[in-house]
Amino acid sequence: MVSKVKADLLIIGMGAAAQMAALYAHEINPELDILIVTKALKGKGGCSRMVQGGFNVVLTPRDSHEKHLMDTLKGGQYINDQYLARTLVEQATPTIKEMETKFGCFFDRNPDGTIHQKAFAGQSFDRTVHKADLTGIEIISRLTEQVMKRGFPVLQECRAVELLLDGPGEIVTGALLLDMRRGEFIVAEAAATLVATGGGPTHYRFHAPGPEKSVDGIAMLYRAGVIMKDMEMLQFHPTGLIVPGSVVAGALLEEGLRGAGAHLFNGSGERYMLNYAPEVGERATRDVVSRSSYLEMMAGRACPEGGVQIDASHLGAGFVLKTFPGMAERCRQFNYDLARGRVPVSPTAHFFMGGAVIDTGGRSTLEKLFVAGEDAGGVHGANRLGGNGICDSCVYGRQAGKALGKYLSGGNRSIKETRRGQVEEFMARLEAPLQRSRGANPFELRKAIQELNWNKVGVARKEPELSGALSEIEDIAEAVETAGVTGGAVYNMMYNTYLDIRSMIDATRIVAFSARLREETRGAHFRQDFPEQRDDYGLFNIFLKRSDDGRPVAEKKPVVFKYKSLEECRKYKK
Amino acid sequence: MAQTSGGVRNIKVFRYDPQQGGEGHFDSYVLNIQDETTTTILDVLLRIQREQDPTLSFRFACRVNMCGSCGMVINGKEGLACKTNVSHIPQGKEVTIRPLNHFPVIKDLVVDMEPFFKKYEEALPFYEPREETTEPAVIRPGSRERQDIGMATDCIACGCCVSSCTMCHYHEGYAGPAALNRAFTLLADSRDGLFEERLDRVLASCYNCRTEFNCTEVCPKRISGTRAIKYIQRLALKHIKAKPETIEAEQPAVAQPSCASEMAGSMAGNMAGNMDRRTFISQVGVGLLGTCLALGVGGVVGAAFVGPTRARTPRLWVPAASLSSIPVGDVTTIKINYETKNGLYTQQVAERVLVSRTGDEIICFKASCTHLGCMVKWDGNAGRFRCACHGGAFDRNGKVIAGPPPKPLDRYPFRVDSDHLLVEVG
Repeated sequence: MVSKVKADLLIIGMGAAAQMAALYAHEINPELDILIVTKALKGKGGCSRMVQGGFNVVLTPRDSHEKHLMDTLKGGQYINDQYLARTLVEQATPTIKEMETKFGCFFDRNPDGTIHQKAFAGQSFDRTVHKADLTGIEIISRLTEQVMKRGFPVLQECRAVELLLDGPGEIVTGALLLDMRRGEFIVAEAAATLVATGGGPTHYRFHAPGPEKSVDGIAMLYRAGVIMKDMEMLQFHPTGLIVPGSVVAGALLEEGLRGAGAHLFNGSGERYMLNYAPEVGERATRDVVSRSSYLEMMAGRACPEGGVQIDASHLGAGFVLKTFPGMAERCRQFNYDLARGRVPVSPTAHFFMGGAVIDTGGRSTLEKLFVAGEDAGGVHGANRLGGNGICDSCVYGRQAGKALGKYLSGGNRSIKETRRGQVEEFMARLEAPLQRSRGANPFELRKAIQELNWNKVGVARKEPELSGALSEIEDIAEAVETAGVTGGAVYNMMYNTYLDIRSMIDATRIVAFSARLREETRGAHFRQDFPEQRDDYGLFNIFLKRSDDGRPVAEKKPVVFKYKSLEECRKYKK
Repeated sequence: MAQTSGGVRNIKVFRYDPQQGGEGHFDSYVLNIQDETTTTILDVLLRIQREQDPTLSFRFACRVNMCGSCGMVINGKEGLACKTNVSHIPQGKEVTIRPLNHFPVIKDLVVDMEPFFKKYEEALPFYEPREETTEPAVIRPGSRERQDIGMATDCIACGCCVSSCTMCHYHEGYAGPAALNRAFTLLADSRDGLFEERLDRVLASCYNCRTEFNCTEVCPKRISGTRAIKYIQRLALKHIKAKPETIEAEQPAVAQPSCASEMAGSMAGNMAGNMDRRTFISQVGVGLLGTCLALGVGGVVGAAFVGPTRARTPRLWVPAASLSSIPVGDVTTIKINYETKNGLYTQQVAERVLVSRTGDEIICFKASCTHLGCMVKWDGNAGRFRCACHGGAFDRNGKVIAGPPPKPLDRYPFRVDSDHLLVEVG
């Protein structure tokens, strides 16, 4: 027997985008019955909480939205959706102010009591608002308290596994959830659904997001038939901590270190970034630094731990300990001294620039479905600037919340009927591994997926590896169909790993599929067989959706230079 | 850091399957760990799950000390699995992992955190702007409030403090350290508009704290719940002082520093309406302790109360005992009585002096614990002074050897006048 819940607004996820959306939808329309579901405990899952560096925003007349926009477009190598990018930078200002004045966040201050902004890479102005070097805790703790204050019901440790659709497959009617604590499915139906689970590319050997994440949002959206864009654009952060054998491996050392002037050395003790980006060195954008590090590693110039080394010691131990206490502590736990020595780091899978196609109110290509945060695409183009990520989640959570508040105030506050039989079909398939005591082991399959992606769809890509990855992932997908799960229904982590890898497989399919179609290097997408950025060829976005036979189909469309021409973007110097 | 190499470890993990019920049990695993200094307890659990027992359940999310999902009890002490390395546990010792205390177990190491969130919410942990504004407040980082709040807003709600707190077990209504810490950060925040309501909501709970410092000791973010709780109590005193209308309810003063009577009076004013007499009295009693702490800490309140009183009190030499009656090589407790002028009235004071006499040396200690002022007694068997309240202990020279006392035992100045021992009071 499957239990059912209904709400006006179903919000999937509980990071910054999800919580901001809930708060603003409620502000616009306090009557709304809002239901939040999260895979973790209240406010504990997702990547917003793990934000270290901070939030890019224009707060002084010496800076400008124009500059922030140009930095974002330049960082995104011109293929951003300019409409979304402009909304991002313009709305960031009121958003951060409201987070302080309405929700009680308190970010670090200048000596005169105004909000402090620090230096990040790829920016023309020091505009990153932060709370020491663990900014996400402040943001998510304060937002979670505001959600508590308003009494929205939260289904904790309930993960969405599929979106539900009406008969023709055009309207989203809600989602099928798994209550992880009881091991039971729940049908949640709503007049509108917001997917804000956060991307979290954990399907790589090294990954920055918490290992609890598994690209569920992007995979569900894709399976439901939503149009996605720029899925080849997956960011590798250059400074993931190397801790051999530990699940901590890949966790970030924040960008502020490079912003503050930390150096990167290869195994030969050379500051290699001066060769790749002589003007800015280590303060080059993440795509450039990650790629350079990777090439150094591939050329046999890795440090003994297998990556490169970051060195902040010349900034002074006192400064490092005071400015980056969280990072220093993280290093110290594994016997690295960030303040006084070099720490081994590696590029680590970090963020999807691609995602569901949305407008500035978070509306997707399916009716009654909204998407915000990392699950949505287009804002960042081919590479996201450090500090624009939490900014995106908060701004677009707020945008979507406001849009949802209005949308549900009109005649849209009705729940459409889910296609008959859809829930039963999903469940029959999803429950099958629980009936099999033998079969492929989900833990091993996850590792296989992570290795496949790291080696063939990683920092550096080329043919025939990409095509190989596409066929290999189908082999793994077949094995997953026969996977078996041990243990009972309650809090079965092996079963949840099985659900995780279902998502990871879809993510692999669409990233590799898109990556094949872009035969050039741009932003985070580095093709070794096409190492140049080709502006006479590559100024397009790849739009992709799932076809009826289950395979992705794609279409390239030229970038719309809505506000800034290609020439303006190219000429722009920070 | 301990050793850099690894080895074989025995790992004992608590198991509970709700479908089988019962009390739960421990399962043992043997793990070969290559490098214990880079292996976290979370790594250990993931390896057991992957290599030996896929049915093992535990909770985690970020794995870098930011989400507070993996709180558990590791070799008797609360901590985050992701922040505790195997090398933190003495070499070769068995690793024992069990779920947090005071919470219902869902399965194995996974507990139901709902009671935690409920207490948290009851403490009104959310910001409510004092006034509507669109511009962030201008507050200097060196301001008193920001210095006080510090990094205490970094709480990740992991529940370790609550699990470690014995009072959370004994007092059903106790909000617990995490909720009170959040309340403290908001009470100290000049931007917040719920001061009165929040103080009303949490103050009574603060008196359930017995200052054991367990919460402070286990917090993975190094936040002191104890400090937060005492801060609220001090804030309450200050607040009462700032509001003269509540002081009018003051009762005739008891023989204690003047602030104590204010405390009693205002508590009567604020709380008599919804509290039976016994609860009231017990809370005033603990309130006095809180007051003493405020004096000891020498905060704003302390200085204001103590300053003028001290200046007016003349010093006094009080005879304690004849020197020949004090045995050598022992510690003798002597009661002294004297009168002291305390503002408008004269007060009878009875005190105990702990006289330590060894060979030629005499030390006269005050018998009040430097932690919260409880009576200290000499334990001849152990050869130390002990405080029964919170386990404070001092050596023969008054030096702290255990527990919460912040400084050595206070001493009386003394002199010997024709076989009479006199101590100076005042």
